[in-house]
Amino acid sequence: MKKIVLLCNMGLSTSALVRKMKNHAKEIGYECTIVAFPVKKAIEVAIDADCVLLGPQVAFQLSMVREMLPHIPVNVITMQAYGMIDGKQVIEQVIALLGENNV
Amino acid sequence: MFDFEAISFQIISAVGTTKSKFMLAIEEAKNGDFKTSKRLIGEGEECFVLGHKAHMELLTEYASGEKVIPDLLLMHAEDQIMSAENIKLMAEELINLYEVLITEGIIKSKGEKNNA
Repeated sequence: MKKIVLLCNMGLSTSALVRKMKNHAKEIGYECTIVAFPVKKAIEVAIDADCVLLGPQVAFQLSMVREMLPHIPVNVITMQAYGMIDGKQVIEQVIALLGENNV
Repeated sequence: MFDFEAISFQIISAVGTTKSKFMLAIEEAKNGDFKTSKRLIGEGEECFVLGHKAHMELLTEYASGEKVIPDLLLMHAEDQIMSAENIKLMAEELINLYEVLITEGIIKSKGEKNNA
């Protein structure tokens, strides 16, 4: 069971994306919990996460989050995937991110 | 049926990226890399146009008599547009300020400090 944490400004817009991601994860049988939080709470909520993704609106805080969570792979959701609320593409990004990390 | 959620997301995504680019541009100016800084401002502006186009679709819809029912997500999108616009103005001021301060030798760039 993988824990995926999405971070954005307030955790509002990403919540809709979480819904779509959950749907896709269910379809392909990928076991994971997905939660959305404001980026300010990164250290509290993502300390036990398997992977962290930032919304494009907080992409400039990527280096800060990476410093805070050096043991967790952190990346930014692409503008295209986010804009289309494309849960499938984001799940694929997660799998790629975790895959790279396991190698 | 007009998909407000999709439009809202397009706006949030595009202007959100814009905001990130502008913030990174300030960071680069602080490092003394004004060329990268100006490139990032340019990239941000390109993203902003995408967001603006999505927003225009909504306005066109409204102008054609279609009732636009605002929800929290749409308000959030409008909010993001406003914040990106403001950040752009402030970013340009800050970058100009850093450029003067660093080229005049009044302050050291972050990069120089690390080397010292």
